[in-house]
Amino acid sequence: MVYALIGVLIGVLIGFLLPFTYNSAYTLYVSVAILACMDSIFGGIRSNLEGKFDATIFISGFIGNAILAAFLAYIGDRLGVPLYYAAIFTFGNRLFDNFAKIRRILTSKRKDIKVKN
Amino acid sequence: MKDFNPKIVIAVFSILVGILLASQIKMNIQMVTPVTIESIKRLELEVKALRNDIDDLKSNIEEKERYLGLIENANYGDSNIIDVLEDEKEKNMMLAGYKSVEGPGIEIVMFDNINSDELSFDFNDGIIHDVDMQNILNDLRVAGAEAISINGERVLAFSDIKCAGPVIRVNGRSLGTPFIISAIGDPKLLMAAISAPGTYSDMLTRVYGIGIQPYMKDKLIIPAYSGDFTFVYAKTVQ
Repeated sequence: MVYALIGVLIGVLIGFLLPFTYNSAYTLYVSVAILACMDSIFGGIRSNLEGKFDATIFISGFIGNAILAAFLAYIGDRLGVPLYYAAIFTFGNRLFDNFAKIRRILTSKRKDIKVKN
Repeated sequence: MKDFNPKIVIAVFSILVGILLASQIKMNIQMVTPVTIESIKRLELEVKALRNDIDDLKSNIEEKERYLGLIENANYGDSNIIDVLEDEKEKNMMLAGYKSVEGPGIEIVMFDNINSDELSFDFNDGIIHDVDMQNILNDLRVAGAEAISINGERVLAFSDIKCAGPVIRVNGRSLGTPFIISAIGDPKLLMAAISAPGTYSDMLTRVYGIGIQPYMKDKLIIPAYSGDFTFVYAKTVQ
């Protein structure tokens, strides 16, 4: 949890320092991709806490989800249907799902410590 | 791949997300809202209005260029520029009402209720008031009247119409009944504005018994404004 937060903070710092921009037409795709990435991070944290973290699954999910989400948004734009809603809904849902599980794991761990003491 | 420390992997990818986030924030974009049919229609209307504006401006430019060409031609001889200025003066005088004008239109003869015992005890109901006159003039203007006179007195933008006992004062001159209103414009439209059921003059004739007799004319002459009007308080904005 903490390392992910630190990582995001470092990333934001780097992002602000780097003179890296892209065409503003792609902002929608990038924002959907960011949502997918955040979902993957949360999923990674959860699996790590559960002790079944697999780097291959994590990395492929991170990149694949981002690309798929951006692609969905793009296709939706071409077809005139806001398909990126699908990505927002799915990943948003899963984000909260993952977060709920992380919370449960963390609280149960604390209880265990208390019981041991 | 399983030997990687999961914390480090997650941290590294978190950095990636952070970079993306920061770059997105840097873009400073407005809310991305879905496009609705209504908003498309609104935009279409806006585009149409703007196109109309552009067309208007283009025609305006053409007109001005023509005028500019005229002036440039006139530049070669003094007599030409005098002609241009004379033309301009004529046009402006006509617009201002200082020129007699002629054209098709209608003539309305108005007189007070002749049968004084017909309507009520109040004699005021049977006579023509300044308000009646103003309403009829307004009806005529709505119908596209270009020049109006009452008993040969030109009615202009600054003309006053005032009740003064048994007479009406127009441009400061007293006029008595019968009033003859002349208006130049599309005779059919003007006629409709006066005689169609539901108009103000129709009400005057039916309810108050005031005589209103409109006649279509092929050629009417409306005299120029005879007074002398100068702006005392109004000045052009610099």
